[in-house]
Amino acid sequence: MTPSAHQTRALIVVVGLSLGFSVLGVRLVDLHVLQHKELAAQALKNREQVVHRQGRRGEIKDVNGNLLANSQSVRIVTADPSIIATQANVVAHKLAPLLKMEEATLVAKLSAPGHYVRLKAKVDEDTAQQIRSLKLKGILFEDQLLRSYPNGILASHILGFVNENHKGVQGIEASMDQCLQGTAGYEIIENDRHGHEIRALRDEEVGPRDGYNVILTVDQVIQHVAETELEKAMAEHHPQAGVIIVSRPKTGEILAMSCRPTFDPNKPGESPADARRNRCISDVAEPGSTFKIVVCSGALNEGMVTLDDRFDCERGAFLYAGRILHDAHPYGLLSVEEILYHSSNIGAAKVALKMGPAHLYDYVTRFAFGRKTGIELPGEVSGIAHPLSKWNLLSITRIPMGHEIAVTPIQMMMAMNAVANGGRLMKPILVKNVVDQDGHIVMQSGPQQMAQCITPRASILMTTALRKVPTPEGTAPKAAVEGYDAAGKTGTAEKIENGHYVSKYYSSFIGYLPASDPEISILVSLDDPEGAGYYGGSVAGPVFSAVAEKVAQYLSIQPLQPFDPKKVASLR
Amino acid sequence: MKRNRKRGPLRFGTVAKSVFTCICIAGVGVGYVWEKNQVLRLGDEIKKRESALLAIEKRNAMLATQLAQWQSPSYLELRCQQYNLGLVSPRETQVVRLYEPGPEWDTKFTPVAMQPPAQPRPAATKELAKR
Repeated sequence: MTPSAHQTRALIVVVGLSLGFSVLGVRLVDLHVLQHKELAAQALKNREQVVHRQGRRGEIKDVNGNLLANSQSVRIVTADPSIIATQANVVAHKLAPLLKMEEATLVAKLSAPGHYVRLKAKVDEDTAQQIRSLKLKGILFEDQLLRSYPNGILASHILGFVNENHKGVQGIEASMDQCLQGTAGYEIIENDRHGHEIRALRDEEVGPRDGYNVILTVDQVIQHVAETELEKAMAEHHPQAGVIIVSRPKTGEILAMSCRPTFDPNKPGESPADARRNRCISDVAEPGSTFKIVVCSGALNEGMVTLDDRFDCERGAFLYAGRILHDAHPYGLLSVEEILYHSSNIGAAKVALKMGPAHLYDYVTRFAFGRKTGIELPGEVSGIAHPLSKWNLLSITRIPMGHEIAVTPIQMMMAMNAVANGGRLMKPILVKNVVDQDGHIVMQSGPQQMAQCITPRASILMTTALRKVPTPEGTAPKAAVEGYDAAGKTGTAEKIENGHYVSKYYSSFIGYLPASDPEISILVSLDDPEGAGYYGGSVAGPVFSAVAEKVAQYLSIQPLQPFDPKKVASLR
Repeated sequence: MKRNRKRGPLRFGTVAKSVFTCICIAGVGVGYVWEKNQVLRLGDEIKKRESALLAIEKRNAMLATQLAQWQSPSYLELRCQQYNLGLVSPRETQVVRLYEPGPEWDTKFTPVAMQPPAQPRPAATKELAKR
């Protein structure tokens, strides 16, 4: 070969290589410079994955730390029928006992067309582990958060429930949702070719924060007592509905709040909306004779009457403003004390007439009727207390007996608490405190006095009169609590349907004990009890007695001495 | 270039230095790989522990729920009925309360029926009180 031929060949190789490398260079410039942004982002996307982790929703506990609601992680068992279909019978046979499902149902699901079928939700971790150990191909698991209420229907109206997104819908779950909800975190991770995370290459990690735990003032045992006794009353008297509230008059703490009909917060959808309503805060009704505590305490507080002042109760029929007001029994002259424990409508009306409408209205507002109590539950209503300008001639005689006014059970409870507690109207407390996962207190609530409705003197005088209600002299001898000195007031209010009074009644009793230094107060109200008796004393009174006795024993309340008779005599 | 240059004998120091440098470079390389391997291993370990912790937390929540169910008053009542234990709460009148002697209990807490009869204090105590 001639040198020129060598040179030509060498030139061709050099040019070829140069061209080749030039093409590669151009491509490299294209990939690394011109398309850098898009390709870098795509590479990052292929490599990295952002995993969001939701913080666990906080727990709800009772005052003693007993668990009332918590969140747990469960599994949804799914399957890919395209993988399993040929062995559907074998797989179904293995899964049926673990999933507690019928084999035929499973076979049908596993033979369905497509790549995804949900076999069962809310499968606990242990069962999921057992299924995993079977090493069945095509069986997959998805995470699912489940809000669990271990006590079932206990305190369901207080706790409320959450929706499918784990957001509070009702009760404490809704009102304390911000505290209970955790904060989500995220991780930027890289996976290997099997899809497993390479932990060493975790790029960024912001841990989730679990929600705070909410500690209620409710006591699980007292709640159980209230629910059990209410259930018994429902079975005995067959009312349409019933409520029991147990509270501490001195602090306004709610120890129990029970409603019937009720629902299971684990399965809220299975109960009608009517059963899910918290009647203690959302139902208004005329309070009936329990409202006499307002007019009598007001008159005593103003010094317009004393417990011994006597009023003519007109033998049971009192004509005023063209309408006759009746008493359940005909009475003659009754003292204010007797008006209270005999529950005379005419007597209460005459006390109110002596007070005058302005003073009566003043006490209606002092006891905060017509306003929300501010309890930490959603859906509270303010009740109806007409302004003085809307009163008619009859109002002054009807309001004292609990007509022309509508209140919620919680309002009436707080009013009675004020009478028991030296005239101090307390705000109802349901949330004791909010703590983080380490138990550090984040938020704490304490007793909050809303107003001083009456003086301690008037309070003692009222208690002196109300102590006689659960005695053979009073309207509720069946409300007496063995071993304790209790005080209270009965109420029997006619129901209004379509704007007219009908022969249906709200029977109620609100009381407290020990009368001289109240530790607990209890409201019992039954809506339209069936049977012979419908009076508050005979229907709600025994329920009060049963609840009070058990709660007093549980709380080891000392059966205290009654007021010193000399002290009471000096106050009269 | 001088082709007729004399080659001297290899010096031990030079060889040793070269070998040492090579060993160092190789050591650094091997160390780097070993360290990377360790990082990955530890990462895997951490991942396993994290998964285990998560599983334990989930199980803990499940057990807490189960415990709460077993501790609930309704469940305990049911169990009492099942075992026929006949357990009932004593009534207030069946409870005997023992009171601490002292002015507080006497004046405030002791019910009239249960108040112990007043006992005269010993003379010595009175004398001590006077002093």
